[in-house]
Amino acid sequence: MTRELMSNWLNKLPEAEKDLPLLLLEGIAYTPRTAYNEVARNSPTGAKLQALVETGRFGTTISDEESIAKTRLEQRLPTLPDKPLFATLSGKIFTPSQLLEEIRSDSQIGRQWVTNEVAHMKLLVQIR
Amino acid sequence: MTGLANTFIFAEPMQHYLEYGSVVLHQIIEANKRAGQLITELIGDQATPENTFEKLRTMNPMVFGLVGHGNTDVTSVECTAVLVRDDSPELELFKDKVVSLCSCLTAQLLGPAIIDAGAVAYTGYKEEFWFFIGDEPGTTPAVRSPFVAEFEFLAGLLRGKSTGDARKDQMTKYDAEISYWMTGEGKDHENAMELSRILEMNKSNSVFLGEGYVTPSPSAAIPVPAPLIFALAYLPVAWLIYREFVA
Repeated sequence: MTRELMSNWLNKLPEAEKDLPLLLLEGIAYTPRTAYNEVARNSPTGAKLQALVETGRFGTTISDEESIAKTRLEQRLPTLPDKPLFATLSGKIFTPSQLLEEIRSDSQIGRQWVTNEVAHMKLLVQIR
Repeated sequence: MTGLANTFIFAEPMQHYLEYGSVVLHQIIEANKRAGQLITELIGDQATPENTFEKLRTMNPMVFGLVGHGNTDVTSVECTAVLVRDDSPELELFKDKVVSLCSCLTAQLLGPAIIDAGAVAYTGYKEEFWFFIGDEPGTTPAVRSPFVAEFEFLAGLLRGKSTGDARKDQMTKYDAEISYWMTGEGKDHENAMELSRILEMNKSNSVFLGEGYVTPSPSAAIPVPAPLIFALAYLPVAWLIYREFVA
């Protein structure tokens, strides 16, 4: 993948996804934007991050994946207006902060969002 | 008794946030229905258990679709009134029918019970079905999107597709809606991130049970006989020959 292709990958991502942690390298989490900046600087770290994106991986173990997924949701949900935004056809209604509580308490609802977030991260890193 | 081809019943409750789904289902029925189909929509207060059972008995539809709150062993209609449980005698009303429940969790127990009762196909969800309520029902792509993907199965049946092909269309629609919010025109909407996740969860929890070859509305797709196509293709030639004769 050339730097241009890395740039295309970044541009295809939704704006709000660009600043959420996604790639893990040597214990440090990088957002798509910080990863791109490393690639743009031609740093050794950038080369390694680029290799991760090229191969559609984000450099984590399963426990790391869940940890990053939770961090992403912790970072994202508080930015939303705290009014009922989400509902289910089992009669549940959630504001973003209520949903965050479900995630923190590791409830069945929270697990559903975290598990999906891991799957979503895999989709993001494979966008071309 | 086998359900009557081209006959559909839909339960569309309007309370307890169910209007978010029912409004979209009504629009999709309007957009996809075909001449010759007998379609009954039980909307709002009409969507009672008693009314639904009566229509199932008297109209004997090939397809029954519902928006309702549910759990592993139960689904409901207006005001969360229980329609059936996994051990209800009324499950026999679903024999030989296609049953599509837009309802949480029913694929765990109720869906298999519906198939055991003789339904030819069932669609539903094994976990929560999520939707967005940040705008008024039916007013924006954000509130419509989860239901547009879900109801593509019923839309396909209305267009004359088989259960298997309608299911494929539904999965394709899920992918299209996810792409819209992830990388398409909707990607920078303020809730695009949540919508792509909602759709991903719903897609991965969507379940199809039963047979894929059943076509509940075969006459909806009007086939053009091959001899007619042949005759039409040669119409200009016939006209030229006719002109030569009369000239």
